[in-house]
Amino acid sequence: MTGEDIFRKFKKLIPKESFFSRLDSLAKKYRLFGPVNIKNQTAFREIHTSKELFMEYKSTMLSPGKLFIFRPKEELFRFHKNEGIKIEELPPVSEQQIIIGVHPCDTNAILYLDRTFMGIYKDPYYEARRKNTMIISLNCTNVSPNCFCSSVGSGPFLKAEKGYDMLLTDFGDRYLMEIKSKRAEELFNMKGKKAGKEEMEIKRDIENSVLEAFTKTIAVEGLDELFLRNMDHPVWQHTAEERCLSCSNCVLVCPTCFCYDLIDESSMDMKMTRRIRQLDACQDMRFAEVYGGNFRQRRAARLRQFVTHKLNQTVQYGVYGTVGCGRCITWCPTGIDLTEMAIEIRRSEKDM
Amino acid sequence: MNRLKPVKARIQALKKQAHEVKTYTLTTENLPFSALPGQFNMVGFPGVGEAPISFSALVRENCFEHTIRSAGRVTAYLDGLKEGDELFIRGPYGKGWPLRQAEGKTVLLIAGGLGIAPLRPVIQGILEKRGLFDKVYLIYGAKNEKHMLFTDEFQTWEEEFPLFLALDEISNPDSGSPRMKVRDKRGWEYHIGLVTDMLDKVKIYPQRTIAFVCGPEIMMRFVCRGLLLMGIESSSLYVSLERRMKCGIAHCGHCQHYGLFVCKDGPVFSYKQVRGLPDGLL
Repeated sequence: MTGEDIFRKFKKLIPKESFFSRLDSLAKKYRLFGPVNIKNQTAFREIHTSKELFMEYKSTMLSPGKLFIFRPKEELFRFHKNEGIKIEELPPVSEQQIIIGVHPCDTNAILYLDRTFMGIYKDPYYEARRKNTMIISLNCTNVSPNCFCSSVGSGPFLKAEKGYDMLLTDFGDRYLMEIKSKRAEELFNMKGKKAGKEEMEIKRDIENSVLEAFTKTIAVEGLDELFLRNMDHPVWQHTAEERCLSCSNCVLVCPTCFCYDLIDESSMDMKMTRRIRQLDACQDMRFAEVYGGNFRQRRAARLRQFVTHKLNQTVQYGVYGTVGCGRCITWCPTGIDLTEMAIEIRRSEKDM
Repeated sequence: MNRLKPVKARIQALKKQAHEVKTYTLTTENLPFSALPGQFNMVGFPGVGEAPISFSALVRENCFEHTIRSAGRVTAYLDGLKEGDELFIRGPYGKGWPLRQAEGKTVLLIAGGLGIAPLRPVIQGILEKRGLFDKVYLIYGAKNEKHMLFTDEFQTWEEEFPLFLALDEISNPDSGSPRMKVRDKRGWEYHIGLVTDMLDKVKIYPQRTIAFVCGPEIMMRFVCRGLLLMGIESSSLYVSLERRMKCGIAHCGHCQHYGLFVCKDGPVFSYKQVRGLPDGLL
């Protein structure tokens, strides 16, 4: 039996009202996070009632995975200095939480972070949060101009079968609810019309109409080889010189960027040191610095590291580092667009 | 298991090795690991930070060694420590030198500067089981004679295999005339010039030779290219890379070298794997 078959009977049409009231009933036991409208922007925030949710959102600046599972900043150890030094290991957080309305791009980004933090070496802080977090994904029907998930296979509808708990598709006044985990099956054991072939066809029709809304694309075929052939292409140099500010916005908003720094902060009386980890960025000048040199001293090299880590370097995990969410394009203060850089390289090869 | 959690280590012995370089003989309670040649520890102190440091000797009689130059913030702090003081370590991390693959083969060990430190456990391993290996050569170069490390061990080494020593310069030439060779007060003869000059001295059958190279990346580039010209396959050449590291376990991303994590996939790589990668000199 494949993973899909196990939960086949758990495809249901649920009235939105009853889904939200079920969520509200869980608020006592779980911390709930979801998309909330703040002025003209949507952000993932902690919510206390489902009324706060804005499920028709397009995109957010920060991805839920890098807010609530891989925390931007986290204290790991305390070193107490009295006679000798005692190490206090801060235990991973065991709070139960639910993230609601995670788009396919961001769900795939969490699966990507899993490769880093739950690969051969497991990060206990990430692992604990990941296990205690229920992910309710929402198929995306609101394409933004910078979205290119359809080109890289990570959206707009979620294809992954594992690694999250539930998948919702907006069917007007109802959700098509696809259960993907045992715990979701238990918590959302609700009455609803069983979804069959007909509903799956409607779902496919919705997906097809969403696919038509994409304006940005990237040709993935041969992308690895394209970049490897063009490590010294002028696009790196002129984009770095004319536009890149090394501000690191791209890295910080990227849902798959996992780099962190370890920082020691000592108290004024020097009796206690906290070891903290926080997000770091390869765009920072000192990121690859060693004694006597810097492997990415030039801004062009740092820009190339970010872009190729997303669109090349598949040797790392066997998948592309991008999920096509387009955040790095949206939040770049000078509008650098990695898909356009790939196009420029491709075009120059054709001209030769 | 939290791999970021360090353990206390005590400095059993401290030896000034050369200019700004010391060898720290360390021990920890219930020594939590065994290490392989070429692996490294994160060594540091709370409030100061941590730095990746290769083993210069593996665990023996409950002690192991790191040979460290005072260079950055962390190592400058370590430089101020005395015998009996504590520091913090975690590890070992990474892939080491493929010593098993070298058995039965001619082994070329080529070191530049501090690069001799990660190769010292290989040398010690060869000395312990000399019979397992065919011919062994050590080519070792440093800036000047003051920067030569482990000079007091040269004699033991030379009893088992030839040493070829090179210096970029003489720190205190006793005569004004340039010479191609000098002797230090212990009687060691140094060639003045680059490590690559010494490649002509070794006679090898390329198909049956394996080379371990460690030093500044620019030196490794030219040594490896020299060895390729001698006919050694790039898959039989091994280099140890240096990168900035924070975690040692392929999480923090600092050491990423075009998709490779130097801390997990290396620091020892075959030259074939890393030759020509962007943001490197190889």
